[in-house]
Amino acid sequence: MIEINNLVFSWPKHPAPTLDIAELTISQGERIFLHGPSGSGKSTLLGLLAGINAIQAGDIKILDTPMRQLAATKRDQFRADHIGTIFQNFNLLPFLDPIENVMLGCQYSKMRKSKLTQPLQQSAISLLENLGIDHTLQAKSVSELSIGQQQRVAAARAFIGQPELIIADEPTSALDADSREAFIETLFCQAEKYQATILFVSHDHSLAQLFDRKVSLNEINGAAQ
Amino acid sequence: MNLASLAFKSSWNRKSSVLLTLFTIAISVMLLLSIERVRQEAKSSFANTISGTDLIVGARTGDIQLLLSSVFRIGHANNAVQWQSYEYIKQQRGVAWTIPISLGDSHKGHAVLGTDSSYFTHFRYGKKQMLAFAHGRAFHNGREVVLGSDVAKKLNYHLGEQIVISHGMGNTSFHHHDDNPMTIVGILKPTGTPVDRTVHVPLIAIDEMHSSSHNKSPRMIGKPLSKPSNGAEHTHDEHKHEHGKHQHKTHQLVESEPGDLIGEPKQITAFLMGFDSPLYTLQVRRNINQYKGEPLLAIMPGVTLRELWGMLDIVEKILLLFSIVVVIISLLGMLTTLLATLNQRRRELAILRSVGARPWHIFSLLTSEAVIITLLGCLLGTALFFVAILLAQPVLQAQFGISLSLSMLSSYEVTLLGAIMLAGTVMGIFPALRAYYYSLIDGMSIKI
Repeated sequence: MIEINNLVFSWPKHPAPTLDIAELTISQGERIFLHGPSGSGKSTLLGLLAGINAIQAGDIKILDTPMRQLAATKRDQFRADHIGTIFQNFNLLPFLDPIENVMLGCQYSKMRKSKLTQPLQQSAISLLENLGIDHTLQAKSVSELSIGQQQRVAAARAFIGQPELIIADEPTSALDADSREAFIETLFCQAEKYQATILFVSHDHSLAQLFDRKVSLNEINGAAQ
Repeated sequence: MNLASLAFKSSWNRKSSVLLTLFTIAISVMLLLSIERVRQEAKSSFANTISGTDLIVGARTGDIQLLLSSVFRIGHANNAVQWQSYEYIKQQRGVAWTIPISLGDSHKGHAVLGTDSSYFTHFRYGKKQMLAFAHGRAFHNGREVVLGSDVAKKLNYHLGEQIVISHGMGNTSFHHHDDNPMTIVGILKPTGTPVDRTVHVPLIAIDEMHSSSHNKSPRMIGKPLSKPSNGAEHTHDEHKHEHGKHQHKTHQLVESEPGDLIGEPKQITAFLMGFDSPLYTLQVRRNINQYKGEPLLAIMPGVTLRELWGMLDIVEKILLLFSIVVVIISLLGMLTTLLATLNQRRRELAILRSVGARPWHIFSLLTSEAVIITLLGCLLGTALFFVAILLAQPVLQAQFGISLSLSMLSSYEVTLLGAIMLAGTVMGIFPALRAYYYSLIDGMSIKI
């Protein structure tokens, strides 16, 4: 699913590399807990995986596609087609309703639209129901939803159209302890349906036990020591 | 959901600042269109005042003074042209027609112009249009008068009424020629020129009332002898009644006896000339300017009109400049608003990037927002402009004689709107470029 080989990345005006990962392999359907304190190059790695930043040395293969060989627009298209993202908080566009926010996940990808078994809006609605956002909540404005509910809408957006990789960047840090586990259970449940890979980034170790594997960025990143 | 609806929804989310920006643009667009419309109409009504006349001849003065006094009835011609000079110049080779003009009298604030029948056959305005009668006909004898359309409308005069012309200019002139009542035999159609505000009488009438006013003691204030009473219909009846009376007296309205229109005037204010061929114009003009009998001046109205408009040009240019500056300020206001809110929208942009939007999409989103605001501003501004024209129309017509047409936008005005749209789009490029840059550096991480 993801293969990282000899990846070295440094930001302009920074002589020392931010990332230096010799090897990391993640297989299809795996649920990975990626742990890293701030400054460990976490955002940089996510940017490279998502294709926002260009690879300088080494390579990342996602679904056997070498990211280094893709031009910027191709990487944007790859992200639209294959990667769903959940941020820490304020994931939603406040001027769209919850259903429209979910539909946004297919906005830039014909591939994801084609994977839908129902019309786009209907798919968004059923996905929201699966994730525990019922009819009445769907009709609300996103600013009226609780943070937990907002994160579920964001998860629905990440899952719509069945992207192979879900990147969740500290999605539970704004939630209380009880909702955290419930939210992660929901993610797993949804991912299992079509064998999506989950890359869950957090510095909350208590969650690590829920995952298949724990990866510490500090350990694999040669540039962090 | 396409880009435009995304841009629209995003803008609506910030509606208070966006709407204010939109109104600023709308008002500036209205201002620009209104000023341009008034400018265009003023210019064309100015240029349309006289047409087809090759030379205007008057006593020696400034070119512009002669034009103002003879055509626009503004200011006084201090000196006059001797009748013999007029008769002499009229005989020059190539002269097709002449119209003598005698000014200086007024009727209730309206200029009185003494002339002969050639005025109604040769005078042209606008695009070589002849004077046409709304009612009645030209004067046939020395006791008849033809009114411009505004005079008739404002003073509520009708055919067959008798009026009195006073000596001198202005309402409060102390000399009134009460003893020379004249019958209204014609009312001209509107021309949009000073002709509308002019009372036309035969030259002989001017001569006669001047000589009589010196013999008899002046009386106060001339009124129409047929005093209009309260009801309009009643007034009408009275007219008919008056008609009857007049028929018994001297003048009959339509079937009057043709009489002498010119008399024996000693002098006139100016005269208009037309030539068989433009070749004669310059030659005769030189002859007139070197005329030995008295100091005379001949001007070509087209040239002098342009000279006069050239003097007003700076004023209109400044007006145009100001309205353009107002538009630019309003667009800069939009730029400020868009840039100011952009920082708060970095999250929105990062979310769009995360679902696969390319930097180019972000750029288009921001640009289309500026385009939407400018477009709506232009549409609203155009609507306000039509409202403004509708409200200003009667005032401008009454006060300045500028007739504004409530016509559709001219191609020039559409071009102006197009230029504003273009400028708005260009303004939109600045926040779009910055958003593009943000979308590259922020990437997936949400700052703020």
